Amino acid sequence: MSVIVCHACDLAHRLDEIAPAARVRCVRCRAELYRTNAARVDTAIALALTALVLFIIANAYPLVAFKVNGTTRLATLTGAALGLYDQGYATLAVLVAITAMLVPLTQILAFLYVLVPVRVGLRAPGQEALFRVLAAVRPWGMSEVFVLGTIVALVKLSAEAEVSARVALIAYGLLMFTLTALASVTPTEQFWQWISRRRR
Amino acid sequence: MSMSVTGQSLGLLVCTRCRATLRAVAAAEQRCPRCHSPVHVRRPHSLATTASLVITAALLYIPANVLPVMRTHTFFSDQDDTIMSGVISLAHSGSWPVALLVFFASIVVPLLKLIALSEIVIAVARKSVRHPQQRSRLFRLVEFVGRWSMLDVFAMSLLVALVQIQSLATVHVRPAALAFAAVVVLTMLAAQSFDERLLWDTQTRG
Repeated sequence: MSVIVCHACDLAHRLDEIAPAARVRCVRCRAELYRTNAARVDTAIALALTALVLFIIANAYPLVAFKVNGTTRLATLTGAALGLYDQGYATLAVLVAITAMLVPLTQILAFLYVLVPVRVGLRAPGQEALFRVLAAVRPWGMSEVFVLGTIVALVKLSAEAEVSARVALIAYGLLMFTLTALASVTPTEQFWQWISRRRR
Repeated sequence: MSMSVTGQSLGLLVCTRCRATLRAVAAAEQRCPRCHSPVHVRRPHSLATTASLVITAALLYIPANVLPVMRTHTFFSDQDDTIMSGVISLAHSGSWPVALLVFFASIVVPLLKLIALSEIVIAVARKSVRHPQQRSRLFRLVEFVGRWSMLDVFAMSLLVALVQIQSLATVHVRPAALAFAAVVVLTMLAAQSFDERLLWDTQTRG
Protein backbone atom coordinates (compact mmCIF):
# COMPACT_ATOMS: atom_id res chain seq x y z
CA MET A 1 0.00 0.00 0.00
CA SER A 2 1.35 3.40 -0.89
CA VAL A 3 0.11 6.97 -1.09
CA ILE A 4 -0.35 9.17 -4.14
CA VAL A 5 -0.78 12.92 -3.71
CA CYS A 6 -2.85 14.95 -6.18
CA HIS A 7 -0.66 17.49 -8.02
CA ALA A 8 -3.60 19.88 -8.42
CA CYS A 9 -5.21 19.96 -4.94
CA ASP A 10 -2.71 18.12 -2.65
CA LEU A 11 -5.27 15.52 -1.51
CA ALA A 12 -3.64 12.24 -0.43
CA HIS A 13 -5.05 8.99 -1.85
CA ARG A 14 -4.32 5.43 -0.75
CA LEU A 15 -3.17 3.36 -3.65
CA ASP A 16 -2.71 -0.40 -3.89
CA GLU A 17 -0.86 -0.40 -7.19
CA ILE A 18 -0.64 1.53 -10.45
CA ALA A 19 -3.26 -0.18 -12.63
CA PRO A 20 -2.43 -0.99 -16.26
CA ALA A 21 -4.62 0.69 -18.91
CA ALA A 22 -6.40 2.98 -16.48
CA ARG A 23 -7.20 6.63 -16.02
CA VAL A 24 -7.40 7.54 -12.35
CA ARG A 25 -8.79 10.87 -11.17
CA CYS A 26 -8.59 12.74 -7.87
CA VAL A 27 -11.75 12.16 -5.81
CA ARG A 28 -11.87 15.81 -4.78
CA CYS A 29 -10.79 18.00 -7.72
CA ARG A 30 -11.10 15.47 -10.59
CA ALA A 31 -7.55 16.13 -11.85
CA GLU A 32 -5.95 13.16 -13.55
CA LEU A 33 -3.69 11.43 -11.00
CA TYR A 34 -2.24 9.10 -13.58
CA ARG A 35 -3.03 7.44 -16.87
CA THR A 36 -1.57 4.26 -18.30
CA ASN A 37 -2.48 2.40 -21.46
CA ALA A 38 -1.97 -0.89 -23.19
CA ALA A 39 0.24 0.64 -25.88
CA ARG A 40 3.71 -0.80 -26.32
CA VAL A 41 6.98 1.08 -26.71
CA ASP A 42 6.95 -0.07 -30.34
CA THR A 43 3.76 1.90 -31.00
CA ALA A 44 5.30 5.09 -29.61
CA ILE A 45 8.51 4.58 -31.62
CA ALA A 46 6.53 3.91 -34.82
CA LEU A 47 4.50 7.08 -34.29
CA ALA A 48 7.62 9.14 -33.61
CA LEU A 49 9.30 7.81 -36.79
CA THR A 50 6.16 8.55 -38.82
CA ALA A 51 6.10 12.06 -37.35
CA LEU A 52 9.76 12.55 -38.30
CA VAL A 53 9.12 11.63 -41.95
CA LEU A 54 6.04 13.88 -42.08
CA PHE A 55 8.02 16.71 -40.45
CA ILE A 56 10.71 16.48 -43.15
CA ILE A 57 8.11 16.54 -45.95
CA ALA A 58 6.26 19.43 -44.30
CA ASN A 59 9.50 21.44 -44.25
CA ALA A 60 10.89 20.47 -47.64
CA TYR A 61 7.90 21.38 -49.82
CA PRO A 62 5.62 24.43 -50.16
CA LEU A 63 2.57 24.60 -47.89
CA VAL A 64 0.37 26.80 -50.03
CA ALA A 65 0.33 28.45 -53.46
CA PHE A 66 -1.03 31.89 -54.34
CA LYS A 67 -1.76 32.75 -57.97
CA VAL A 68 -2.63 36.20 -59.23
CA ASN A 69 -2.24 37.76 -62.72
CA GLY A 70 -0.22 34.82 -63.93
CA THR A 71 2.30 35.06 -61.08
CA THR A 72 2.47 32.18 -58.61
CA ARG A 73 3.95 32.54 -55.16
CA LEU A 74 4.67 29.58 -52.91
CA ALA A 75 5.06 29.69 -49.15
CA THR A 76 7.01 27.17 -47.11
CA LEU A 77 7.05 26.74 -43.34
CA THR A 78 10.45 28.44 -43.05
CA GLY A 79 9.27 31.09 -45.51
CA ALA A 80 6.39 31.96 -43.17
CA ALA A 81 8.84 32.62 -40.33
CA LEU A 82 11.40 34.38 -42.57
CA GLY A 83 8.77 36.73 -44.00
CA LEU A 84 8.14 38.10 -40.52
CA TYR A 85 11.89 38.35 -39.91
CA ASP A 86 12.43 40.28 -43.15
CA GLN A 87 9.88 42.87 -42.10
CA GLY A 88 11.77 43.50 -38.86
CA TYR A 89 9.65 41.33 -36.56
CA ALA A 90 12.30 38.88 -35.39
CA THR A 91 10.39 38.17 -32.16
CA LEU A 92 7.31 37.03 -34.07
CA ALA A 93 9.47 35.00 -36.46
CA VAL A 94 11.11 33.23 -33.53
CA LEU A 95 7.72 32.60 -31.90
CA VAL A 96 6.34 31.02 -35.10
CA ALA A 97 9.52 28.99 -35.63
CA ILE A 98 9.48 27.67 -32.04
CA THR A 99 5.78 26.78 -31.83
CA ALA A 100 5.30 25.39 -35.34
CA MET A 101 8.68 23.80 -36.06
CA LEU A 102 11.15 23.60 -33.20
CA VAL A 103 8.85 22.17 -30.50
CA PRO A 104 7.41 19.37 -32.69
CA LEU A 105 10.94 18.45 -33.83
CA THR A 106 12.25 18.49 -30.25
CA GLN A 107 9.38 16.24 -29.15
CA ILE A 108 9.98 13.74 -31.94
CA LEU A 109 13.74 13.54 -31.37
CA ALA A 110 13.50 13.43 -27.56
CA PHE A 111 10.98 10.56 -27.67
CA LEU A 112 13.17 8.61 -30.10
CA TYR A 113 16.31 9.26 -28.03
CA VAL A 114 14.73 7.93 -24.84
CA LEU A 115 12.44 5.18 -26.19
CA VAL A 116 14.65 3.42 -28.76
CA PRO A 117 17.19 2.41 -26.04
CA VAL A 118 14.26 1.28 -23.82
CA ARG A 119 13.14 -1.00 -26.65
CA VAL A 120 16.50 -2.79 -26.74
CA GLY A 121 16.87 -2.91 -22.95
CA LEU A 122 19.28 -0.01 -22.51
CA ARG A 123 19.17 3.30 -20.71
CA ALA A 124 19.65 6.58 -22.58
CA PRO A 125 22.09 8.86 -20.74
CA GLY A 126 20.32 11.98 -19.50
CA GLN A 127 16.82 10.56 -19.92
CA GLU A 128 15.59 12.50 -16.86
CA ALA A 129 16.73 15.77 -18.45
CA LEU A 130 15.01 14.79 -21.70
CA PHE A 131 11.78 14.07 -19.82
CA ARG A 132 11.94 17.53 -18.24
CA VAL A 133 12.47 19.06 -21.69
CA LEU A 134 9.45 17.13 -23.04
CA ALA A 135 7.28 18.30 -20.15
CA ALA A 136 8.42 21.92 -20.51
CA VAL A 137 7.88 22.20 -24.28
CA ARG A 138 4.55 20.35 -24.42
CA PRO A 139 2.27 23.45 -23.97
CA TRP A 140 4.24 25.31 -26.68
CA GLY A 141 3.76 22.80 -29.49
CA MET A 142 1.02 24.30 -31.65
CA SER A 143 0.86 22.17 -34.79
CA GLU A 144 -2.97 22.01 -34.76
CA VAL A 145 -3.26 25.79 -34.32
CA PHE A 146 -0.80 26.30 -37.19
CA VAL A 147 -2.87 24.10 -39.52
CA LEU A 148 -6.01 26.09 -38.70
CA GLY A 149 -4.10 29.39 -39.07
CA THR A 150 -3.01 28.33 -42.56
CA ILE A 151 -6.62 27.54 -43.46
CA VAL A 152 -7.69 30.99 -42.19
CA ALA A 153 -5.02 32.61 -44.41
CA LEU A 154 -6.24 30.57 -47.41
CA VAL A 155 -9.85 31.62 -46.80
CA LYS A 156 -8.83 35.30 -46.48
CA LEU A 157 -6.97 35.20 -49.80
CA SER A 158 -9.51 33.09 -51.68
CA ALA A 159 -11.74 36.17 -51.96
CA GLU A 160 -9.08 37.98 -54.05
CA ALA A 161 -7.00 35.34 -55.78
CA GLU A 162 -6.59 31.71 -56.61
CA VAL A 163 -5.08 29.83 -53.67
CA SER A 164 -4.43 26.15 -53.11
CA ALA A 165 -3.08 23.79 -50.47
CA ARG A 166 0.13 21.98 -51.42
CA VAL A 167 1.70 18.71 -50.32
CA ALA A 168 3.46 20.10 -47.24
CA LEU A 169 0.17 21.30 -45.77
CA ILE A 170 -1.26 17.78 -46.08
CA ALA A 171 1.92 16.38 -44.52
CA TYR A 172 1.68 18.96 -41.73
CA GLY A 173 -1.98 18.06 -41.14
CA LEU A 174 -1.02 14.39 -40.81
CA LEU A 175 1.87 15.40 -38.54
CA MET A 176 -0.65 17.11 -36.27
CA PHE A 177 -2.65 13.85 -35.93
CA THR A 178 0.51 11.76 -35.44
CA LEU A 179 1.78 14.06 -32.68
CA THR A 180 -1.61 13.93 -30.94
CA ALA A 181 -1.53 10.12 -31.11
CA LEU A 182 2.06 10.09 -29.82
CA ALA A 183 1.07 12.28 -26.86
CA SER A 184 -1.89 10.04 -26.07
CA VAL A 185 0.18 6.81 -25.98
CA THR A 186 2.92 8.39 -23.84
CA PRO A 187 1.23 9.77 -20.72
CA THR A 188 3.73 10.60 -17.98
CA GLU A 189 3.14 7.51 -15.84
CA GLN A 190 3.35 5.21 -18.88
CA PHE A 191 6.61 6.85 -19.94
CA TRP A 192 8.20 6.15 -16.55
CA GLN A 193 6.86 2.59 -16.44
CA TRP A 194 8.54 1.86 -19.77
CA ILE A 195 11.78 3.31 -18.51
CA SER A 196 11.77 1.41 -15.22
CA ARG A 197 10.60 -1.87 -16.76
CA ARG A 198 13.60 -2.13 -19.10
CA ARG A 199 15.21 -5.52 -19.11
CA ARG A 200 18.53 -4.61 -17.57
CA MET B 1 -14.35 17.87 2.95
CA SER B 2 -13.40 18.00 6.64
CA MET B 3 -12.09 14.44 6.28
CA SER B 4 -9.57 15.50 3.63
CA VAL B 5 -6.01 14.42 4.32
CA THR B 6 -3.49 16.40 2.31
CA GLY B 7 0.02 15.59 1.25
CA GLN B 8 1.22 18.57 3.26
CA SER B 9 -0.31 17.18 6.51
CA LEU B 10 1.38 13.81 5.90
CA GLY B 11 4.77 15.35 5.12
CA LEU B 12 4.50 14.25 1.50
CA LEU B 13 5.31 16.24 -1.64
CA VAL B 14 4.27 15.73 -5.22
CA CYS B 15 6.51 16.50 -8.19
CA THR B 16 4.44 18.75 -10.48
CA ARG B 17 6.54 17.67 -13.50
CA CYS B 18 6.32 13.85 -13.34
CA ARG B 19 3.70 13.58 -10.56
CA ALA B 20 5.72 11.24 -8.37
CA THR B 21 4.85 11.37 -4.67
CA LEU B 22 7.83 11.72 -2.33
CA ARG B 23 8.63 12.25 1.33
CA ALA B 24 9.45 15.85 2.24
CA VAL B 25 12.88 16.38 3.78
CA ALA B 26 14.09 19.48 5.58
CA ALA B 27 16.37 20.80 2.88
CA ALA B 28 16.69 24.15 1.13
CA GLU B 29 16.11 22.60 -2.27
CA GLN B 30 14.66 19.15 -2.80
CA ARG B 31 14.74 17.34 -6.13
CA CYS B 32 12.41 14.66 -7.45
CA PRO B 33 14.14 11.24 -7.31
CA ARG B 34 12.42 10.18 -10.55
CA CYS B 35 12.84 13.12 -12.96
CA HIS B 36 15.25 15.31 -10.90
CA SER B 37 13.03 18.43 -11.11
CA PRO B 38 13.08 20.82 -8.16
CA VAL B 39 10.12 20.05 -5.87
CA HIS B 40 8.39 22.55 -3.59
CA VAL B 41 5.55 22.32 -1.07
CA ARG B 42 4.02 25.16 -3.10
CA ARG B 43 5.60 26.83 -6.11
CA PRO B 44 7.56 29.86 -4.78
CA HIS B 45 6.02 33.31 -5.51
CA SER B 46 3.32 31.68 -7.63
CA LEU B 47 0.57 34.20 -6.92
CA ALA B 48 2.78 37.29 -7.41
CA THR B 49 4.20 35.92 -10.67
CA THR B 50 0.78 35.06 -12.08
CA ALA B 51 -0.66 38.42 -10.99
CA SER B 52 2.17 40.43 -12.61
CA LEU B 53 1.90 38.51 -15.87
CA VAL B 54 -1.89 38.98 -15.96
CA ILE B 55 -1.58 42.75 -15.34
CA THR B 56 1.05 43.10 -18.09
CA ALA B 57 -1.07 41.08 -20.52
CA ALA B 58 -4.19 43.13 -19.67
CA LEU B 59 -2.33 46.38 -20.48
CA LEU B 60 -1.11 44.99 -23.79
CA TYR B 61 -4.58 43.70 -24.67
CA ILE B 62 -5.63 47.32 -25.34
CA PRO B 63 -3.10 48.25 -28.09
CA ALA B 64 -3.41 44.71 -29.46
CA ASN B 65 -7.08 45.31 -30.18
CA VAL B 66 -7.24 49.06 -30.86
CA LEU B 67 -4.24 49.50 -33.16
CA PRO B 68 -3.77 47.92 -36.60
CA VAL B 69 -1.89 44.62 -36.73
CA MET B 70 -1.56 44.47 -40.49
CA ARG B 71 -1.32 46.80 -43.54
CA THR B 72 -2.22 45.84 -47.09
CA HIS B 73 -0.63 47.96 -49.84
CA THR B 74 -2.31 47.62 -53.19
CA PHE B 75 -2.01 49.50 -56.48
CA PHE B 76 -4.98 51.67 -55.49
CA SER B 77 -4.82 52.08 -51.75
CA ASP B 78 -3.35 51.27 -48.36
CA GLN B 79 -5.55 49.51 -45.86
CA ASP B 80 -4.85 49.08 -42.15
CA ASP B 81 -6.52 46.19 -40.35
CA THR B 82 -7.11 45.65 -36.65
CA ILE B 83 -7.92 42.18 -35.33
CA MET B 84 -11.63 43.09 -35.33
CA SER B 85 -11.68 44.65 -38.82
CA GLY B 86 -10.02 41.45 -40.07
CA VAL B 87 -12.89 39.45 -38.58
CA ILE B 88 -15.47 41.79 -40.13
CA SER B 89 -13.94 41.58 -43.60
CA LEU B 90 -13.89 37.78 -43.32
CA ALA B 91 -17.59 37.84 -42.45
CA HIS B 92 -18.30 40.19 -45.39
CA SER B 93 -16.57 37.89 -47.85
CA GLY B 94 -19.07 35.24 -46.78
CA SER B 95 -16.85 33.02 -44.64
CA TRP B 96 -19.03 33.15 -41.53
CA PRO B 97 -17.69 30.03 -39.81
CA VAL B 98 -14.06 31.16 -40.27
CA ALA B 99 -14.90 34.71 -39.12
CA LEU B 100 -16.53 33.28 -36.00
CA LEU B 101 -13.53 31.03 -35.35
CA VAL B 102 -11.08 33.96 -35.58
CA PHE B 103 -13.37 36.10 -33.43
CA PHE B 104 -13.38 33.49 -30.67
CA ALA B 105 -9.69 32.61 -30.87
CA SER B 106 -8.36 36.17 -31.13
CA ILE B 107 -10.81 38.33 -29.16
CA VAL B 108 -12.97 36.19 -26.85
CA VAL B 109 -10.35 33.68 -25.66
CA PRO B 110 -7.68 36.26 -24.59
CA LEU B 111 -10.32 38.35 -22.81
CA LEU B 112 -11.80 35.28 -21.12
CA LYS B 113 -8.31 34.24 -19.99
CA LEU B 114 -7.61 37.67 -18.50
CA ILE B 115 -10.94 37.76 -16.64
CA ALA B 116 -10.70 34.15 -15.43
CA LEU B 117 -7.09 34.45 -14.23
CA SER B 118 -7.85 37.76 -12.46
CA GLU B 119 -10.83 36.21 -10.71
CA ILE B 120 -8.69 33.25 -9.61
CA VAL B 121 -5.78 35.43 -8.40
CA ILE B 122 -8.17 37.68 -6.43
CA ALA B 123 -9.94 34.66 -4.90
CA VAL B 124 -6.63 33.20 -3.70
CA ALA B 125 -5.38 36.57 -2.42
CA ARG B 126 -8.60 37.02 -0.40
CA LYS B 127 -8.40 33.42 0.85
CA SER B 128 -11.86 32.65 -0.47
CA VAL B 129 -13.07 29.26 0.79
CA ARG B 130 -15.96 28.90 -1.62
CA HIS B 131 -16.14 27.18 -5.03
CA PRO B 132 -12.63 25.66 -5.32
CA GLN B 133 -14.09 23.00 -7.63
CA GLN B 134 -15.49 25.58 -10.07
CA ARG B 135 -12.31 27.69 -9.98
CA SER B 136 -10.18 24.62 -10.67
CA ARG B 137 -12.38 23.77 -13.62
CA LEU B 138 -12.12 27.35 -14.91
CA PHE B 139 -8.33 27.28 -14.53
CA ARG B 140 -8.05 24.05 -16.52
CA LEU B 141 -10.23 25.53 -19.26
CA VAL B 142 -7.89 28.55 -19.45
CA GLU B 143 -4.88 26.23 -19.68
CA PHE B 144 -6.58 24.20 -22.41
CA VAL B 145 -7.76 27.00 -24.74
CA GLY B 146 -4.76 29.35 -24.29
CA ARG B 147 -2.74 28.21 -27.29
CA TRP B 148 -5.59 28.73 -29.78
CA SER B 149 -5.11 32.50 -29.69
CA MET B 150 -1.95 32.03 -31.75
CA LEU B 151 -4.24 31.38 -34.73
CA ASP B 152 -4.05 34.96 -36.07
CA VAL B 153 -0.27 35.14 -35.70
CA PHE B 154 0.11 32.03 -37.87
CA ALA B 155 -2.43 33.31 -40.42
CA MET B 156 -0.52 36.61 -40.58
CA SER B 157 2.82 34.87 -41.08
CA LEU B 158 1.44 33.09 -44.16
CA LEU B 159 -0.21 36.23 -45.58
CA VAL B 160 3.11 38.07 -45.26
CA ALA B 161 4.98 35.25 -46.98
CA LEU B 162 2.45 34.90 -49.81
CA VAL B 163 1.30 38.42 -50.63
CA GLN B 164 4.56 40.01 -51.78
CA ILE B 165 3.87 40.94 -55.37
CA GLN B 166 5.53 44.35 -55.47
CA SER B 167 3.59 45.80 -58.42
CA LEU B 168 0.23 44.52 -57.18
CA ALA B 169 -0.14 43.93 -53.48
CA THR B 170 2.00 43.49 -50.38
CA VAL B 171 1.09 42.71 -46.78
CA HIS B 172 3.02 44.25 -43.88
CA VAL B 173 2.99 43.51 -40.16
CA ARG B 174 2.20 46.48 -37.87
CA PRO B 175 3.60 46.89 -34.32
CA ALA B 176 0.32 45.96 -32.57
CA ALA B 177 0.85 42.40 -33.82
CA LEU B 178 3.70 42.21 -31.30
CA ALA B 179 1.36 43.32 -28.50
CA PHE B 180 -1.14 40.71 -29.62
CA ALA B 181 1.43 37.88 -29.60
CA ALA B 182 2.70 39.11 -26.22
CA VAL B 183 -0.82 38.81 -24.74
CA VAL B 184 -0.98 35.18 -25.89
CA VAL B 185 2.47 34.28 -24.55
CA LEU B 186 2.11 36.19 -21.25
CA THR B 187 -1.29 34.67 -20.43
CA MET B 188 0.11 31.19 -21.16
CA LEU B 189 3.04 31.90 -18.83
CA ALA B 190 0.61 33.28 -16.22
CA ALA B 191 -1.37 30.03 -16.26
CA GLN B 192 1.82 27.93 -16.12
CA SER B 193 3.20 29.83 -13.13
CA PHE B 194 0.00 29.45 -11.10
CA ASP B 195 0.06 26.71 -8.45
CA GLU B 196 -3.43 25.18 -8.59
CA ARG B 197 -3.09 23.83 -5.03
CA LEU B 198 -3.46 27.40 -3.73
CA LEU B 199 -7.15 27.14 -4.67
CA TRP B 200 -7.56 24.16 -2.33
CA ASP B 201 -5.39 25.17 0.63
CA THR B 202 -8.30 27.00 2.27
CA GLN B 203 -10.28 23.75 2.41
CA THR B 204 -8.14 22.03 5.01
CA ARG B 205 -7.39 24.85 7.42
CA GLY B 206 -10.89 25.17 8.85
